[in-house]
Amino acid sequence: MPARSPSRRALLLLLPAAVPTVAVLGAALTVAVLQSTGLMPVVGEPDPTTAGYRALAGDRALLDGLRVSLGIAAASTLLALAVGLGTALLARTTRLGGRLLRAAAAATVPVPHLVGAAAIGLLLADSGLAARALAVEPGDFPPLVGGPWWVAVVAEYAWKESAFVALVVLAALAAGERELDEAAATLGAGPWQRLRRVALPLAAPSAVAAGGVTFAYVLGSYDVAWLLGRSYPEPLPVLAFRLWTDVDLARREQALAVAVVTTALALASLLATAALLARTARATGRTAT
Amino acid sequence: MSAELVVRGLVRRFGGTPVLDGVDLAVPAGECVALLGPSGSGKSTVLRLVAGLDTPDAGRVHAGGRDLTGLPPERRGTAMVGQRPRLFPHLSVLDNVAFPLAVAGRRRREARAQAAGHLALVGLADLAARRPATLSGGQEQRVALARALAASPAVLLLDEPFSALDPGVREEMHRLLADLRAAVAPTVLLVTHDRQEATVVADTVAVLLDGRIAQAGPAEELHTRPATLAVSRFLGGANEVPGRVEGGAHVSALGRLALPVPVAAGPGVLVVRQEAVAVTGPGDDADATGTVTRVTPRGARRRVEVATPAGPLSAEVGPGLAPAPGSAVGLVLPVAQRWVVPCPDAQRAEG
Repeated sequence: MPARSPSRRALLLLLPAAVPTVAVLGAALTVAVLQSTGLMPVVGEPDPTTAGYRALAGDRALLDGLRVSLGIAAASTLLALAVGLGTALLARTTRLGGRLLRAAAAATVPVPHLVGAAAIGLLLADSGLAARALAVEPGDFPPLVGGPWWVAVVAEYAWKESAFVALVVLAALAAGERELDEAAATLGAGPWQRLRRVALPLAAPSAVAAGGVTFAYVLGSYDVAWLLGRSYPEPLPVLAFRLWTDVDLARREQALAVAVVTTALALASLLATAALLARTARATGRTAT
Repeated sequence: MSAELVVRGLVRRFGGTPVLDGVDLAVPAGECVALLGPSGSGKSTVLRLVAGLDTPDAGRVHAGGRDLTGLPPERRGTAMVGQRPRLFPHLSVLDNVAFPLAVAGRRRREARAQAAGHLALVGLADLAARRPATLSGGQEQRVALARALAASPAVLLLDEPFSALDPGVREEMHRLLADLRAAVAPTVLLVTHDRQEATVVADTVAVLLDGRIAQAGPAEELHTRPATLAVSRFLGGANEVPGRVEGGAHVSALGRLALPVPVAAGPGVLVVRQEAVAVTGPGDDADATGTVTRVTPRGARRRVEVATPAGPLSAEVGPGLAPAPGSAVGLVLPVAQRWVVPCPDAQRAEG
């Protein structure tokens, strides 16, 4: 049982990381909330209003954006979790596999999403590498880029984030999982039983955490959806940026309202993740701190 | 549930160097054999090979007449308890013990009921609902033992299971192991580097030196009648008198000392446990005389080192019986405790 003072020290040690984060995020969010409610207009006197939000609520663009953003985030997160968790669990069975996967994942994580998006575009566009390699006419190739199912966008996020998931899960499993796996084997558990009863429960907390971070990230990410998506419906960040750069300055209120809604959704998803983690921690008997 | 374990000609090389070089070992059903050896002698490797966690370069492992060589660990019926308890952190104490029953396909309620019985066996019925992280080291090892027993193993493998525990707790665990053996009579192969633990816990002690079993037998026999000088030294034997055997007696710088059993003539080293040597005044009936060079405490006892014509000899005496350093004393080597081992050189020549 950790004593009170070490946890207080942990909090103090966290401050250098927490202060800049809170300062930057807090400032940006405050400005966004103030501007979206007319309290900090670009020109003129402050005039509290919910016009921006009301205009959005009546607009299909927000609902469609919401739908598509949540859809992309959910699909990308599920794919990234399946691929990342799967490869991490597979890789741990051999030492060489683990090393190779770690190298591959470590090489993938620092690639900027925009570069990844461009690469996926070159690969999956109807005139792209895949179409050429398969010798499919551009007209016959499925619309993966800019198509109705956002395949290229989801593929890019899933590719990058699966590397992140794999790294997080591998790091969590590294501590003693091999010993527990051996213990389970000598107690009569076969490979599948060991996967189901030992490896997966041990990997679950880290996978949940990585999944929550991935979901929130994809929800708020702009570049990939802008490059590989279609012009309508627009995911929330793309919508916000278009409204922000509109010639009509009044649309800035709406742009910031979209940004505030997106942020609220991302925060809600992180809170849900934290709640899920707390439940897993209770179920696994590990303390949260 | 218990079965005879037989290990034959086990060889394991790491990077070309043989760590195990033909290990032969048998544990009769329901008995406990302690595999005793210095650090790095490959004791734990023997257990891992028996458990199927490692693959031998040569040799076979049989349990209850069944050839285990090549089987995966989960199909061997060889539960293992290591130095660390390796409890599953995501399961309660009860579910940890129920784990082998659950993977064997028992229904949850049945598995838990049986597991509760095993927990009671190790005296931890009260802690069933606790998480492993909240247990003390001794409690964790008890749970690990209960979990291993719940698997109804043909052979129970113990890899220095008590070496990380405090001495008091360790003694408690030795008593617990004795109780468990009386209750369920598992076949136990215990690996330890602790000579005392080996003698306390096991029926038979097997000494692993240089990749082979140097000697196996009851602990007392190993101490008083070691097969080689190496075994004698590993078991802490301090007294070695080089000489030769002639006509039923050992002849050395100490003179002619009669032997209790017939020994073939030729060069040989006389060994007598320091615990058996008595300190007397110089002269009267002493087998050796000399000057005390050093007295070192050994718990309640003291070790007295004496310089004699045949080199340094030691005796262990009880509290208050140690002579002062520098005094002249005599040493009595009781006839029944005399034993001759081959000279190391002669041994090497034989091969």
